[in-house]
Amino acid sequence: MAAWQRGLDLLAQIATALASVMIVVLIVIFGWLVYGRYILNATPTWVEQAALLMVVWITFLGAAVGVRRKTHLSVDFIRDALPGPLRGAALIIASCALLFFGAMLAWQGYVMFDRTARRDIPLIGISEGWRAVPVIIGGTMIFLFSLDDLARRVFRKEDTA
Amino acid sequence: MSLVLLFGIFFLCLIAGVPVAFCLGIAAFAGFIYEGLPLFIATQRIVSGISIFSLLAIPFFIFAGELMLQGGIAVRLVRLASAAVGWMRGGLGVVNVASSMLFGGISGSAVADTSALGSILMPVMKEKGYDGDYAVNVTVTSSIAGVVIPPSHNMIIYAIAAGGLPISQLFLAGVIPGILMCLCLAFAAWLVAVKRNYPSEDFPGFAPLMISFIVALPGLMTAVIIVGGVLSGIMTVTESGAFGAIYAILVTALVYRELTWDKFKQAVLVSVRITSMAMILIACASAFAYLLTLNRVPELLAGFVLSISESEFVILLLLNFTFLVLGMIMDMAALILITTPIFLPIVMDLGMSPIQFGIIMMMNLGLGLTTPPVGACLFVGCVVGNERMENVVKSIWPFYLAILTALMLVTYIPAVSLGLGWMVFDP
Repeated sequence: MAAWQRGLDLLAQIATALASVMIVVLIVIFGWLVYGRYILNATPTWVEQAALLMVVWITFLGAAVGVRRKTHLSVDFIRDALPGPLRGAALIIASCALLFFGAMLAWQGYVMFDRTARRDIPLIGISEGWRAVPVIIGGTMIFLFSLDDLARRVFRKEDTA
Repeated sequence: MSLVLLFGIFFLCLIAGVPVAFCLGIAAFAGFIYEGLPLFIATQRIVSGISIFSLLAIPFFIFAGELMLQGGIAVRLVRLASAAVGWMRGGLGVVNVASSMLFGGISGSAVADTSALGSILMPVMKEKGYDGDYAVNVTVTSSIAGVVIPPSHNMIIYAIAAGGLPISQLFLAGVIPGILMCLCLAFAAWLVAVKRNYPSEDFPGFAPLMISFIVALPGLMTAVIIVGGVLSGIMTVTESGAFGAIYAILVTALVYRELTWDKFKQAVLVSVRITSMAMILIACASAFAYLLTLNRVPELLAGFVLSISESEFVILLLLNFTFLVLGMIMDMAALILITTPIFLPIVMDLGMSPIQFGIIMMMNLGLGLTTPPVGACLFVGCVVGNERMENVVKSIWPFYLAILTALMLVTYIPAVSLGLGWMVFDP
């Protein structure tokens, strides 16, 4: 159990690091874009497409990490006001709903990959499939993180006490 | 039937405590299954919802705001405000409002405003004999300036939700309402200060005032660059956001010399967290909105509202009231994305400009950030100020009243928000 926990935490850490690097790269290439457009008079056209691709990666990696670290905005006050057993049920419903969402993202992300991977993104010449990959990864991570939440709630009932 | 399912699942998830973004996504997937639509269209809507060029400005704005907090820009803005208005009765309360106006004008985020200015000003205020509830009240309510005064990333979200409004016009329209709101708040802060007999600071003289202005100037230029770039039409909002972020790095690292590697890392991590939270919300809302449009919800609701009353005055009051209630229980960005496609057609029917409506929405939902039970700014303010929320909320009403006054002026006098635009854009 402990190894599984550490593994998930490590996964979240790797995803955060990757997204952080991408945000810095995003700022740097946009600096290059502004410099190119206004100083060199030669706009690097690949920047916009590359940036749009990276933002999908940042979003799905970051959003999945948010599930692990519980940083997303949610409305908790109604659930917290419920009596014990109902509150426990609500927590389990929430985990199951996230489980469903993660699974759908991962599965449909793959369908999207399958339909688009043989096309190239214009101007940067890499496969459209790269746009679907973060959806699959993010969905899988959300699935794993909420599976862990659910397991802990069902087996230890730590949050329902 | 499919609408009952869509909203039913959405609210069930919301009550169970699922993050708002995922509530929208889950309801959308369920809706697609029920309607028998190909599921990959839902995924495609989710991805294409964030593949919009001007949305790229959001991480840049957030990063620039975080750097200002970490890199010493915020402190210098507070010193400037303190030198300028600290001599008034309850000076630090007014200083707090003025600082928010300056800082909010640069960072564009109300929560960043609360935590940045709160951590600087609240300890000083308490030390000088101000009550804790007052310090939190002023800090929290004045932080709404961040979403009204440009640049504001919530305005970009609105511009996209409204189907691509010109961001330059929205930015310009936020200037006067933002200042007006701060004046109302400063008045409330002063009034309460007089009643509670709070001290005032000594006026430092014009020379120190000028010095604090010059010291703060490189920081203030961040806002000038971002807003100036957009308004002049030289740069797109994304380009000026990136340029502003790079400029903020240079100022905090080379001019103020306060940006360390650790602080830089911190700013990057916060940007990742907030950007991905906002973006996943936009992504899922885009799939949700697809189903709303498919079911003709905007038309149906517009018909319903117009059947209640045809008076513009009454409908606007109703809309404001709806926003206030929704804003109390849900987050700003989510509400912008959900309600814009529904309510915008109604006000357009009434002949209201979508720009003016956007500013009304910013102020109103901004107010929601400061109300219990889920106001993000109120929450952060109470944590930073180490005060109990019940205690703070008891004495906050003069500040709510000030914001509502400004909100009513913006709602019923179009020139307040649109006047600058008339002078600049229309011949």
